Amino acid sequence: MNSNARGKIVEMEETVVRERKASRIPVKCRETNKFIPVFLCAVVVLTVMSLIYLEIDWLKMASRIPDVGIVFWNLAHLDFANIDLIVSSLIETISIAVLSLLYSMILGILFGMLAARNVFRIPFLSTITQSFFTFLRAVPTPVWVLLMLVCLGMGPEAGVAGLCVHTTAFFTKSFAQSFESIPDETLEALEVTGTGRLSIFTNAILPAALSQIVAWAGMRLETNFSECAILGMVGAGGIGYVISTSLQGYDYGTAGVAILLVFLVAYCIERIFVRIKKKFA
Amino acid sequence: MKPILKFDKVSKYYPNGVHALNQVSLEVMEGEFVSVIGPSGSGKSTLLRAINRLIPISGGTVWLDGQAVSELHGKKLREQRRKVGMIFQNYNLVYSLSVLQNVLHGRLGYMNGWKGVFGIYSEPDKRKALDLLKELGLEQFSYNRTSDLSGGQKQRVGIARAIMQNPKLLLCDEPIASLDPSSAKTIMELLHDMTQKRNIACIVNLHQLDVALKYSTRIIGLSKGEIVFDGTPDQLTDEMIEKIYGTSRENLMIGGSDDEEKDTVDCA
Repeated sequence: MNSNARGKIVEMEETVVRERKASRIPVKCRETNKFIPVFLCAVVVLTVMSLIYLEIDWLKMASRIPDVGIVFWNLAHLDFANIDLIVSSLIETISIAVLSLLYSMILGILFGMLAARNVFRIPFLSTITQSFFTFLRAVPTPVWVLLMLVCLGMGPEAGVAGLCVHTTAFFTKSFAQSFESIPDETLEALEVTGTGRLSIFTNAILPAALSQIVAWAGMRLETNFSECAILGMVGAGGIGYVISTSLQGYDYGTAGVAILLVFLVAYCIERIFVRIKKKFA
Repeated sequence: MKPILKFDKVSKYYPNGVHALNQVSLEVMEGEFVSVIGPSGSGKSTLLRAINRLIPISGGTVWLDGQAVSELHGKKLREQRRKVGMIFQNYNLVYSLSVLQNVLHGRLGYMNGWKGVFGIYSEPDKRKALDLLKELGLEQFSYNRTSDLSGGQKQRVGIARAIMQNPKLLLCDEPIASLDPSSAKTIMELLHDMTQKRNIACIVNLHQLDVALKYSTRIIGLSKGEIVFDGTPDQLTDEMIEKIYGTSRENLMIGGSDDEEKDTVDCA
């Protein structure tokens, strides 16, 4: 009887042990990605180093926080006295954004065709185009606009040209990616009809990638519009110039109206392109 | 009748060491309807793609309409390619374009310069394309987006595109593998009738033995990159089938045998 009971206890203990072992069944992949923890550690180290290097005066920053409220309160007192100037410069900004988008789309399709690996099947050509435009893309838009201001003088021409450089570089990469995403089988089907590479591009790749091109263009118009607002501040004309001069002159009311309009236009552009994309898909 | 296609000891080795084709020699005459059968990996697709050089071959010569395709490049190759229509398992159409535009793509190989680039087709070509769509029972969809069509209808557009090329040879790479039985029957009958009517030689890769037996004038059995059978459908005995597929005919039918699972694993 006694030994029997002891046997039962041993048996129970065994099941407990087995269950505990069972609960430790590993669930993660055997080959974990060692890059992720390294990346996270690097982020932490870099953050700490940046904090030390910049010597940010947190106390001073905290003491100025009420000022943020005051400035926004002043901006909220909209002043419509200069509305004609604001509207005309806003239209100028939109025109710069639209024009640079249009020119860049044409150039982007052209260079994207050269950069995509599946159009002409010349890897050398793709690599050269891609690396050239990577260089253009690495230099930020304001720098390009400043360069163009030096070359072409003050005014919207410099804005259009400067925006075009960066936007074309962006479109070249994104359009090339869209072209490359067209399945090879579709191109194969045209290849076997004896069609030349350029005709395959215009008749199959371009129409198939059109909805993606529209999506990229919509996204970029938003970016270009907001970039354009900044560029006015460096002298390329448009609403940015109005915002920066009125802020410098403590004319918060006018700046408030201008900022509000910039926000409204950007929002409208986004809504319109969401609609267009739905129709295209 | 003259040979439209000739394989002279054609071999294809892939870099991974697979011998997809091993010294294959064959001739195809005008107007023949040839089915190529064999298990997966036996070289059916490679055989078909060697004809229009979608896959470059490693040895031997492919003669197409009296010219060695394997040595051609650029414009000469494109001129040979347009003599060969091709139909794919996944149709491979441009789905954002209209049905008519997809059919007219078959003419692009004949168009030079900017007309081809901008897709400006001649009126006779357009009329021919519309007639062809009517013949295939798709005229009411001519101006629809191709993506709106069903699988069987898409494959019919694929056939129209290939016929628009005025081909001498039609290659079909598993044309009915993605279709339901009823659509598959329509497609096979259309392929058979349209090629016979126009005296186009047709080579079809098939997985369905019964379909091959029903429509072909000739069957080629491939196994491990070699031709193990070449003859009329009634010459294809059960022993031959066993030689091609490495398993008995009953095992090829789903649910036909107890050790079916093992065979499926072997075939795949």
